[in-house]
Amino acid sequence: MPNPILEVRDIHTFIGQFHILEGVNVSIPEGSITVLLGRNGAGKTTTLRSIMGITPPRSGTIVFQGDTLAGKRPYTVAKLGIGYVPEHRAIFKELSVRENLKIAERNRGDYERHTDLIFDLFPDLKRLIDLPGGKLSGGQQQMLAIARALVPDNRLLLIDEPSEGLAPVIIEQLMAAIRRLSSQCTILLVEQNFRMASRLADHFAIIDDGRSPVSGSMADLVNDSALIQRYLGVA
Amino acid sequence: MRRHTSVLVIIAIIVGLLAYSFFNSRSLGSFGITVLSGLFQGMLLFLVASGMSIVFGLMDILNMAQGTYFMVGTYVAYDIQHAGGLIDLTASVPDPNLRFFIAVVGAILVGAGLGAILERGLLRPLYARPVFQLVLTFGVALVLTEIITLVWSTTPYSWTETFGVREGFFELFGQRFSTYRLFVVGMGFLLIISIALLLQRSRIGIIIRAGVEDSEMVESLGINVRAVFTLVFTLGCAVAALGGAVAAPFLGASTTIGSTFLLQAIAVVVLGGMGSYVGTAVGSIMVGLAIAVAQDAAIGTSFSILPSITPMLLLILILLVRPSGLFGSNR
Amino acid sequence: MKQLRSNWLYSLILVFLIAFPFIVGALTESSPTGVPRGDRMIMRGESVRWQAVLIEVFILSILAMSYNLMFGFTGVISFGHALFFGSAGYIIGLALEYTALDTGAALILGSLAAFVICGGVGLMIGFVSLRLRGVYFTIFTLAVAEMFYIFFSRFALTKAEDGFAVTELPVWLDPSQSRLTFYYIVLALFVLTFLFIRRLVNSPTGAVFKAIRENEDRALAIGYNTLRFKLMAIVIAGMLAALAGILQVLLNKKIGPEMLSVGYTIDPLLNTIIGGIGTFAGPVIGTAGLHLLDTFFRDATLVIGGSTIQVANVWGLVLGLIFILVVIVFPQGVVGTWQSWRLKRQIRHLESRMAVEPSPAPESG
Repeated sequence: MPNPILEVRDIHTFIGQFHILEGVNVSIPEGSITVLLGRNGAGKTTTLRSIMGITPPRSGTIVFQGDTLAGKRPYTVAKLGIGYVPEHRAIFKELSVRENLKIAERNRGDYERHTDLIFDLFPDLKRLIDLPGGKLSGGQQQMLAIARALVPDNRLLLIDEPSEGLAPVIIEQLMAAIRRLSSQCTILLVEQNFRMASRLADHFAIIDDGRSPVSGSMADLVNDSALIQRYLGVA
Repeated sequence: MRRHTSVLVIIAIIVGLLAYSFFNSRSLGSFGITVLSGLFQGMLLFLVASGMSIVFGLMDILNMAQGTYFMVGTYVAYDIQHAGGLIDLTASVPDPNLRFFIAVVGAILVGAGLGAILERGLLRPLYARPVFQLVLTFGVALVLTEIITLVWSTTPYSWTETFGVREGFFELFGQRFSTYRLFVVGMGFLLIISIALLLQRSRIGIIIRAGVEDSEMVESLGINVRAVFTLVFTLGCAVAALGGAVAAPFLGASTTIGSTFLLQAIAVVVLGGMGSYVGTAVGSIMVGLAIAVAQDAAIGTSFSILPSITPMLLLILILLVRPSGLFGSNR
Repeated sequence: MKQLRSNWLYSLILVFLIAFPFIVGALTESSPTGVPRGDRMIMRGESVRWQAVLIEVFILSILAMSYNLMFGFTGVISFGHALFFGSAGYIIGLALEYTALDTGAALILGSLAAFVICGGVGLMIGFVSLRLRGVYFTIFTLAVAEMFYIFFSRFALTKAEDGFAVTELPVWLDPSQSRLTFYYIVLALFVLTFLFIRRLVNSPTGAVFKAIRENEDRALAIGYNTLRFKLMAIVIAGMLAALAGILQVLLNKKIGPEMLSVGYTIDPLLNTIIGGIGTFAGPVIGTAGLHLLDTFFRDATLVIGGSTIQVANVWGLVLGLIFILVVIVFPQGVVGTWQSWRLKRQIRHLESRMAVEPSPAPESG
């Protein structure tokens, strides 16, 4: 296994008085796609939000390329080279597509440097560039949300449920884009759609009831129907 | 479609106010005076309400101390301009015009300083408890008023110092118009446009507009949102204090100014649609004109209360048509 | 067990309050009923003076408890509570002074009108503003209260800023003749209010109030018509504040626009926060503490480094600073902080006794 780019060790996260993560361990190998699997409410989104520092873990460590993340504010975490694409595609509806992309610049010129890549992956965005984000379709908004994470030079992308509520054709397009991206940076994905996850990811980690009982190679998981049945309830 | 009705409502109200005032004026000149006075009050209101509105949109804090910052501005400007008081510059800066400039700058600095203290020192520990933020700004308004009372007592000051700009006038339609008011109105329009351009074109403007929608996401993109919060909050308080300083030559300084302007600003912010910059700008001018027309209408009648309740009446009227304000989103 | 112990404490306090006029009377050798002069009583002496102080504490406590019902138990913030307090004052004052009714009838009808109108005003403000986001209600209450304040400050019929005196009171109720009776009446109403709020909050309705405070969306999702419950809290709080306003007018025998001023909104807000939001005793402790401190120190002067400071001049500032400090450092107030301290101690005690694995301490909040 190549060196992990991100190492999450035994994190405990509380939201209000609820103990959501009760010791999650995830290791993300560099240059591949890892997917977090698990039932609704198991703690997958909270794991991503804990990595970002939006819901900071109360204990445990998170190490990204030698830097400790736990205790850092989200903007510092992001500046280390982590792009976050939250669920429900949190794009800015009142801002134009261009402004949505430009706001993600960390250095002047980031946007210009990456326009070729972005429009190559998502050609639709080019003709929508001056439209407000709110006028885009669900699929286009998801593309914009991912594109936004590509504007700065990120080493790791956290993508939460990209396929949620989208038509199969759009999902295929997104999958192709994500697969192409994985050649440039590491991707940590949360995905309910097991078919999509299994076709896309190299590694998996299961989050169940605030813990991470199993992780490993996707190829092994696909053949272990007992494990799938137990934690995911899908055949 | 919704914007459409809002624009119609705005046009209807402004045209209605102007027409009423026009046909009740004795001359074109006195109509002009009413309009100028309305625009002047509108600009003062904008200076208080704009900070309040942007801060509310961005940080979800309704700053109940905004009127008090305006009041602080009036006192600081009065104190610097006049002999005696805390700072007496009459000897070192004999030119009253220059002294007024210093007074305005002083008010802005004091407003900014007090704003930064409030945001960083008092509101920041409370981000997890939004209810307490609202209550706290109310408490800060109380404390600032008490401090002002201790320093300057409760006796109102009326502006006695005369200086060139304030005394200047020009004649039109046989009426004397105050150059100072015209100057303030002009500066106000300039400020409305500059802030609009800042919000539309600059990077910080994009960040503010994005932050109004989802500040958590802005932070996740690597932007220190809390620094932006502090900046915006401080600027909001500084602009309110600027408003106070500019208003002082006409209103003087008194301890009741704070709550008067707070209420009028609240009316503006709510009727414009909370968090909407355009709504605040349009709302300020509308309320300012309405107050001026009401002041005219109330002269010589028993309705001397009319001008002070006009903002609320306008607010109720607009909320009946548009429950979330002219440019508000239904959140 | 705990219930019994706290009720025991409350009973002791109640007995003390009942005996209070006589205790002060015995200690200072003054009559609890005042000094007779001719066929009427003159309110002179320490006992009657302290009765007046406590009467005001009871009245302001009722006001603070009513505020706490909205703010502390339902999570609805009003910045216009003075509206109910002052309106009720004006209504009873107008009924007594400006109507041809005889005093007893004016008292009863005026009180009824005050309750109905204050409840109705609360209902209307709530109905207009509560559908929108939380802050609208807060703004609306402030705006409406200030509008009433401005109106009555200039309204010629009610003598504008000066207000008017209430002269026609039955002798048995008049605090400047039968203060002891008035003391017991207000004490009884104060105790009833306390019990009523405790009963209400501990009832199923109160459970919904608290659910709304914790998370309104969830309460809505469970299927409660949260708007209706919030309106109910506002109407009840408005009527209790009206009760306080009526009593205040009877005590001072005077009504003026200051009863509508923001001061009477800040007072219950401050007392509730300092005493403890969402606790039963908090508003009372906050009111009693601050009001008694005010009474003791109002005339005092401090000498700090050669400069003398009149406490009365800085009292508002001191209150404001305490308020800010409490909001930031002890948001649970006196009672809340004490309760959570006791809870923590009990948990520690239990843990050491049972020697179980320590479970994570519950979040305070």
